[in-house]
Amino acid sequence: MTNYGLVIDQERCIGCQACAVSCKQENNVPMGQFWNRVLTEGGDKIDTPSGGYPEDGGSGSLDMEYQPTACQHCENAPCVKVCPVNATYTRDDGIVEIDYDKCIGCRYCMAACPYNARVFNWDEPEQMPEEGTGDVAARPQGVVEKCTFCSHRVDEGLDPACVVNCPADARIFGDLDDEGSTVSKYINEYETDQLLEDRGTDPKTHYISGEMSPGRPQTSDKMESELDDVSPWSDGAEDVPSDADGSDSGDSGGSHHSIESDADPHVPAVGSGGDD
Amino acid sequence: MNDPQQPRLTPIDEWEDEAAAMLDGVEYDTDLGLRMARDAIRVSNGELSDAEFHEKYHEELLAEFGEDERPTKPEGFDDD
Repeated sequence: MTNYGLVIDQERCIGCQACAVSCKQENNVPMGQFWNRVLTEGGDKIDTPSGGYPEDGGSGSLDMEYQPTACQHCENAPCVKVCPVNATYTRDDGIVEIDYDKCIGCRYCMAACPYNARVFNWDEPEQMPEEGTGDVAARPQGVVEKCTFCSHRVDEGLDPACVVNCPADARIFGDLDDEGSTVSKYINEYETDQLLEDRGTDPKTHYISGEMSPGRPQTSDKMESELDDVSPWSDGAEDVPSDADGSDSGDSGGSHHSIESDADPHVPAVGSGGDD
Repeated sequence: MNDPQQPRLTPIDEWEDEAAAMLDGVEYDTDLGLRMARDAIRVSNGELSDAEFHEKYHEELLAEFGEDERPTKPEGFDDD
């Protein structure tokens, strides 16, 4: 049985918001709404760091950490359990989805979601441009909507938009029930957390922190399981490089090593000569 | 309009106020939604079974929504 999940390496995340923007564009998310957000931990405001600049020759303490957050597609999803009309449901592949034709806008699911992952269309949704963006039809006023793991792409063997467009290779999507998948290997090999574990929701999004993983460089839009020649890092634990920044590879991009595949590279290979 | 920056990971002691705010103005029973949300988390962390949860709210949901299509319905549960 397939059970899709996401690993986000917070050591790789650079807080660029590419995931948030690509999600919005791919899924035709209305103005003023976000399904996918990069929360920040640090200073008093969303975009200010904690700590201070180096002064008087001392060392600075500036620090800001990123917490990418969207629907966690929980195994024990409270939102699914409270929906009186079964509009929110779990697909056979583990993706929690909303049937917008069934949703009556009671917002019980929003109250039950510990992750604040859902948004409600209070007004008639507005898109820019008016005809919308991406490959997903706009949802009507009066319904709740949220991240779908880009199920319309997954159904076609493609990775979610946020995964494909992460320039830091910090997001890895795959089958948690496949022991050979990169997501499964990373969950086994790295220290990972789930958000608000005490709630017992068992999210399918796992966060790596502490030690940076090699990520999973995108060789195409395709999901790992659809590729004939996947990243060698997913072939076995012994293949995971200990030097995750690839400092001896000669590439400034670190994780972008050569891919011998006929797939078109989605992220251009990074040439040597610095990263500026 | 939602505040794009509003969503966050809510500390448990602040959750109830936030959930109440989400349900404010809803056409349905706000108190029922809050109680169900609270108990749904109890189901997730194993304090309450799916069947107990289903039975606890079945009548109220029928009265409020005219239907109860939750997936928590235990086998052999009598809808009537």
